[in-house]
Amino acid sequence: MCGIAGRILAGRGGFGAVGRDLVELMDAQEHRGADSTGFAVYGPPRNTGYVVRGMGFDRKDMDPAMDDLARSLRDHGSDFLAEPAIITDGQRHYCFRIEIGDPRDMTAWVADVDTLSDRIEVQSCGRSLEIIKDVGGARAVDEKHGVREMVGTHGLGHARLATESDVRPNASHPFWARPFPDVAIVHNGQITDYFKWRERLERRGYRFLTGNDSELIAVWISDRMRAGLTMDQALKLSINSIDGVFTYMIANAGGIGFAKDRFAMKPLVVIDRDGDLAMATEEQAVRRIFVGECDVINYDGPSLTGLWGAGDRDLAA
Amino acid sequence: MNEHVVDVGKRHIREINEEIQEACARGDRIRVVNTLSRHNLGIGLPDGAEVRFEGSVGYYCGGLNTGATLEIERNAGWALGEGMSKGTITVGGYSGMSCGAAMMGGTIHVRGDAGPRCGVAMKGGNIVVEGRIGYQSGFMAHAGKIIALGGAGDSCADALWEGEVWVAGDVGSPGVDVKVVEPTSEQVDEVNAILEPLGLSDGSRDWRKMVSGQRLWFFESRDAGAWLMI
Repeated sequence: MCGIAGRILAGRGGFGAVGRDLVELMDAQEHRGADSTGFAVYGPPRNTGYVVRGMGFDRKDMDPAMDDLARSLRDHGSDFLAEPAIITDGQRHYCFRIEIGDPRDMTAWVADVDTLSDRIEVQSCGRSLEIIKDVGGARAVDEKHGVREMVGTHGLGHARLATESDVRPNASHPFWARPFPDVAIVHNGQITDYFKWRERLERRGYRFLTGNDSELIAVWISDRMRAGLTMDQALKLSINSIDGVFTYMIANAGGIGFAKDRFAMKPLVVIDRDGDLAMATEEQAVRRIFVGECDVINYDGPSLTGLWGAGDRDLAA
Repeated sequence: MNEHVVDVGKRHIREINEEIQEACARGDRIRVVNTLSRHNLGIGLPDGAEVRFEGSVGYYCGGLNTGATLEIERNAGWALGEGMSKGTITVGGYSGMSCGAAMMGGTIHVRGDAGPRCGVAMKGGNIVVEGRIGYQSGFMAHAGKIIALGGAGDSCADALWEGEVWVAGDVGSPGVDVKVVEPTSEQVDEVNAILEPLGLSDGSRDWRKMVSGQRLWFFESRDAGAWLMI
């Protein structure tokens, strides 16, 4: 089933408690899928350097794995800018957040670090994007990772009911558009021809690290945008190119876009108060952000797309 | 008649519905407040009950209604009145996807628009929408009438059984195996008799009555190419 959400704070270029709002949006939709919960938060952008979020699969291997990660960065003219922050609990996997200098070539570094993906997986990389995902509901993931304290302009949330792949922390959403910095998606639905598309994209050099169908979408859109389409054009093209049922939202530093399948199978509800935006699968979630009675936009029809800019940026350009 | 006020808020849905049922059993008129678009409000309400929901409700409101009169001030989520057999549900605003899904009797009256697949698989009763009905409305309706006064979206009346879709206004496109027929004056009178108690009767409407072309009823897999849209 899955539940998705998005939030854009009003106020041109202003930062606020987007993490707190995303936790509320996902807590209200926990019944749609409590296998895992994830968040993509766009924080204050840096001019140089990236924030990298990821996961290691075995705590016992943590020190050598992080050393290998550091070595891969140094091979590409970068390094940790500070001690990595490690988040662990009783589970076997651990999560990390590191700040790094600019690698000489981002795509080449990501390709290199992905050779470690049996031990350690980079799950987001961006000037402002940070993806936090883990098993459990919104409150559990927030308590472990401090999502509420995260400040930013906009972001995405996802509650997962696993259908196409395992209940594993790394098969959770949001998915980063590896290796495109600052691009993330959340998806509600199933992609039925993802094997076909993955093969095509893999032949073009892209890599997918999970068996999750949704991992495809962000890369698919980013690939089309790299080929010269605008986000709006890529979203529209996806409706008749990608087969399955979907409502997905894709975010980059400029804002959030969405697309819905041809059969109108999955909902999307939005409250827009002069650019102060909350989007979710269910109306009761957006009502956590805007509590009083107010106008709700139901994107219920088939083959719909849309774009919402964050800050002073215009995604339509 | 006493009025009983039910405050929804964040309470457990079972507790809320039990409170509504108890008030119905006492014969109270019920006002439900602070609804916060919660799901499953007022399920299986008994004959004769009167319940008004202030604000908007979530999914499945009024499902399995057996004769109650429900009024929703603003919007309803998915599958309003699913499987209802008797009674009346009125929505002040928009009614989401699958309004009146598989209903068997009674009337749903939507003052605004209705979402996709309005009246999907309905088996009886009437749905009256003052605005527009969404994509693929009436999909596989077995019986009953969907009456839209403000037009219809694409793929209208797709794959009907013996249900009827009546539209005044523009139709985006007809669904598969739809036959648009000229209604007789007796049939128009019958529809106006449904609209009359809602104050919506109007003799000047230009109706498009959609019924099944009955070809899909005898589906043969060798003809699949004629039907599959994918």
